[in-house]
Amino acid sequence: MTTALTQGLERIPDQIGYLVISEEGVLASAGELENDEHTAGVIMQMVRTACRFRLHGTAEPPFKRMSVMFEDYVYAVTISGQKVFVVKRQNNQREPVIV
Amino acid sequence: MGCCFSSDSETSQQNEEVKPLIPDPNLNKIPTNGSDRNADSLLSSRTDEQALLTTILQRTALNIIDVSAVDSQGMEQHEYMDRARQYSTKLEVLSRTLSQKKPVPLPSLSSQPHQVLAADLVSNADVQQVSKIAAYAYSAISQIKVDAKEELVVQFAIP
Repeated sequence: MTTALTQGLERIPDQIGYLVISEEGVLASAGELENDEHTAGVIMQMVRTACRFRLHGTAEPPFKRMSVMFEDYVYAVTISGQKVFVVKRQNNQREPVIV
Repeated sequence: MGCCFSSDSETSQQNEEVKPLIPDPNLNKIPTNGSDRNADSLLSSRTDEQALLTTILQRTALNIIDVSAVDSQGMEQHEYMDRARQYSTKLEVLSRTLSQKKPVPLPSLSSQPHQVLAADLVSNADVQQVSKIAAYAYSAISQIKVDAKEELVVQFAIP
């Protein structure tokens, strides 16, 4: 079952690590996020908080993916079937910064 | 206790001694009982005034919040214990209902998690725009301040 979850994550372009987290704990981890329970904990808290946002009193959270952006890499997070999927991807966008 | 009015009792010795010097303002209000009438109304007007003053004083004391008072209004020991018991019972009930609350289940954001995560990342232009908007909002919020027009605490004095 874990391979079904992780197969798709492995194939994500420029991914350098991933986590699959459930309510009980980390189900799978790889790459730079291998065994990274600390990051898993922080991201769980962040995504729980984000899920409480609502737009104009709608019933569901107003987003499909949460991105935590750093200079060189991004954590992309989503939830499906009671599991949180996190993938660490390289941020290769090199646009000139307008000053 | 009362007696029927009769013109005979009006001129009795008792009435001469306690006849009021000023007309009694409560004459029309209090039901009269013949010879007792004048004595009662003089005494009752004095106690009424006293009672009225006491009521005004009590009402003021209840409504005024005295921020300079260090000692709280004295409460009897049993009343204090009663209240303490009441509050702790209420707290017990509340804490029971709180601990029974189950954590909110995770909502499902997508049925295609791999697709969602593999999609294009947020562009730099978008990130910069959001950062700028957030900076403006922060600046605006930090400029909120209280415009104090009056003193918050005043001396309560009778001029």
